[in-house]
Amino acid sequence: MAALSTMPGLEFIAVRKSFGAVKALTGVTFAVREGEAHALVGENGAGKSTLLKILAGIVRPDAGELRWNDARLSLGSPREALERGIGMVYQEMLSFPNLSVTGNIFAGRELIGAGGRLRERAMESRTVAILDELHLNIAPSATAETLPAAHRQLLQVARALAFECRILVLDEPTTALTDAEADHLFAVLDRLKARGVTLLYVSHRLPEVFRLCDRVTVLRDGGFAGTYDTKDVPPERIVRAMVGRDLPPRAEHAARATQGAPALAVKGLTRRPAFRHVSLTVAPGEIVGLFGLVGSGRSELLETIFGLRAPDTGTIHAGGRLLTLRSPRQAAREGIALVPEERHRQGLFFNLSVHDNLVMPARTVAGDILIRGAQERDASRRLLSDWRIKAGSPRAMPDSLSGGNQQKVVLAKWLATGPRILMLDEPTKGVDVGAKFEIHEIIRRQAAQGLGCLVASSDLPEVLALCHRVVVMREGRIQGELRGEAADEESVMHLATSELKDAS
Amino acid sequence: MKGFWHIRELSTVAILVLEVIFFGWYLWPDGNRDHPFLNLENALLILKYSSIYGIAAVGAAVVIISGGIDLAPGSIIALASVVCGVLFVDAGWGLGPSMLAALAAGLGAGGVSSLLIVAVKLPPFIATLGVMGITRGLAFIVTEGRYFDLSSKLAGGWRPLGLPADWVAPLVMVGLAIVFQVLMTRFQWGRQIFSIGGNETAALFSGVAVGRIKTSVYLLSGLLAAAAGVVLALVQGQGKADLATGYELDIIASAVVGGASLSGGRGSVMGAVLGTLIFGVLRNALPQIPGATFYDRLIVGLAVIVIVVLDQVLLKRGE
Repeated sequence: MAALSTMPGLEFIAVRKSFGAVKALTGVTFAVREGEAHALVGENGAGKSTLLKILAGIVRPDAGELRWNDARLSLGSPREALERGIGMVYQEMLSFPNLSVTGNIFAGRELIGAGGRLRERAMESRTVAILDELHLNIAPSATAETLPAAHRQLLQVARALAFECRILVLDEPTTALTDAEADHLFAVLDRLKARGVTLLYVSHRLPEVFRLCDRVTVLRDGGFAGTYDTKDVPPERIVRAMVGRDLPPRAEHAARATQGAPALAVKGLTRRPAFRHVSLTVAPGEIVGLFGLVGSGRSELLETIFGLRAPDTGTIHAGGRLLTLRSPRQAAREGIALVPEERHRQGLFFNLSVHDNLVMPARTVAGDILIRGAQERDASRRLLSDWRIKAGSPRAMPDSLSGGNQQKVVLAKWLATGPRILMLDEPTKGVDVGAKFEIHEIIRRQAAQGLGCLVASSDLPEVLALCHRVVVMREGRIQGELRGEAADEESVMHLATSELKDAS
Repeated sequence: MKGFWHIRELSTVAILVLEVIFFGWYLWPDGNRDHPFLNLENALLILKYSSIYGIAAVGAAVVIISGGIDLAPGSIIALASVVCGVLFVDAGWGLGPSMLAALAAGLGAGGVSSLLIVAVKLPPFIATLGVMGITRGLAFIVTEGRYFDLSSKLAGGWRPLGLPADWVAPLVMVGLAIVFQVLMTRFQWGRQIFSIGGNETAALFSGVAVGRIKTSVYLLSGLLAAAAGVVLALVQGQGKADLATGYELDIIASAVVGGASLSGGRGSVMGAVLGTLIFGVLRNALPQIPGATFYDRLIVGLAVIVIVVLDQVLLKRGE
């Protein structure tokens, strides 16, 4: 690696920002050296996103300033930030579904001729060059909505590349990417760094941070909690700085004796084109991991078991009984619960209070017409304290909660229905380490009490840490199954990426 | 991105052609009498009346593509006809200045809409619902129940550049359709409207001047609705406060039939204008079918649903 420049680079000086009564940033000071890859980590609610929004010109700080190479940076609008050479790769899928790849890359900064006429040909040839540089095999004229999630995410990087940016800010860019795609992205980022671009990299995934970044700054509760050289700090130190305490060691795999009828038995389930001939069982008290890369058909499988989609063929048994599910409502009444992947879109009602969210499925399952106020109030209070959900009150709105606590609300509302089978789709996506740990604990505790759990995840360490058995899916088929000790990173990834076996 | 003559408009053209063929066959006269539907005079009639909708639909399509909605065009059409009428007939202004004043009124109404949407941040539906009421109300206040007879003051009809009005109105419509089709597909302004309609947050984060562009969109819609009102006043020869009631929904329906998605980001100006022709033909041909008079609203309503559903089915097939 080249010697780091001694220039001051990008400095945040005593940056403060409050939203109403919420203090998002309480005076953050740190510096990013020019040309380095600098990670920004912290739990949800630590203030990372506010800091990024300030850098992107979307939010203005109440106090403090930003400096770039000793000159004050005043960023009044996203446009101004872009003009100063600050490129953003956002966490949310900020793409234009209706525009072509070229349209997406140049949105807001179209190449134009006289009178604002679009220079389509120039944009397209530039797009081809950028896609080539990213080794992305997609047509410049394809509309973004036809692309897989990973490609849409890489489009954002392509956007940043299209304009010579000096600072590239990436907010959780690998959430939707497979390991191979993430490696690809890192290769691109390494090249950018070699070219002298300063990278500010926000991620929950510490291995990525250590893989890519020279230094890492930790934020906690809106304040600065330290900057470390990744060369000489162990990951545990970073975690401690983020959480402010030590995490208990990981629980050991408990070998489970399975007896009696399986909680869930799926046989030959097919729904084209998402998945084919899927058979698997989950015993009561067992945590089964469903590992597969994005696009392997995991989510569709869970949604089919949950009655959201109808299978083409195949059977679903729960507790030994054959089920024909036509709706999630019916599935919930049969004791099947699904904690969906996207809590914003599928998991929570953001217009309703935490209380209403918590009691909703239980009410559905019970089939109540009247709302029993007092009883439900007790129930939601109990859920909040049982699952240690940090909410101001049961009347708080979900968006006032951190991502981890939102996810716990989704989990708690389903556990309140007393399910026999709990399915979780990416249960800790976008959740910080502390909350991730707590969610894992909740799942383990429930399993110990006899709940059958099916956990779909593309987070391999999570699957290995949590599950008694790992079922690996690839392109809509079960590739194989690994039990307890036999499952490690290598064996699971091998199954997940190897060629399809002959049709089963 | 979409080319100038996107495949989507071709299906709208196909529907229009099929429709004309159907009515041509259905209304085929007995013996040697003239065809009541397939003749040049009737075609001009359809074009003339459709151009009132069509001119306003150009603006409506742009609004819908930007992810918004405008409920005011019907009222603005009436207000424009009234302003044109009161100045030309009562105040003795020339026709040109009266028309310009009517256009200015539409621009003003569009300005109020954009102010409410961009600065006050009201949802477009609410903002334009309010403006719809206000403009209709102003039209009634100006007329005080009267109506202005432009035709008696326009001896020999309105003949700008020596052309008959029947020709001018459709020509204006076609001209506007071509100009805005090109602006929407080939120019930065149009591309950024598509981007706002596709994902407004992303557009903002990408440095698109979202507020400025949305302002231009509602100003345009107001201006073009007023132009449609001027055409209506001259074609029908009158300015009246209760004209064009409910036109806003017909115009929105035309845009949707022409391929616009009410969730924004999709649609075309040309498609919307073709959509108004589809309805124009229906409105012209149905009354000529004996006994169909009472069915025409019903059939127009069904047509909206059938065409949009068909379109969705075809789109899915195409994927």
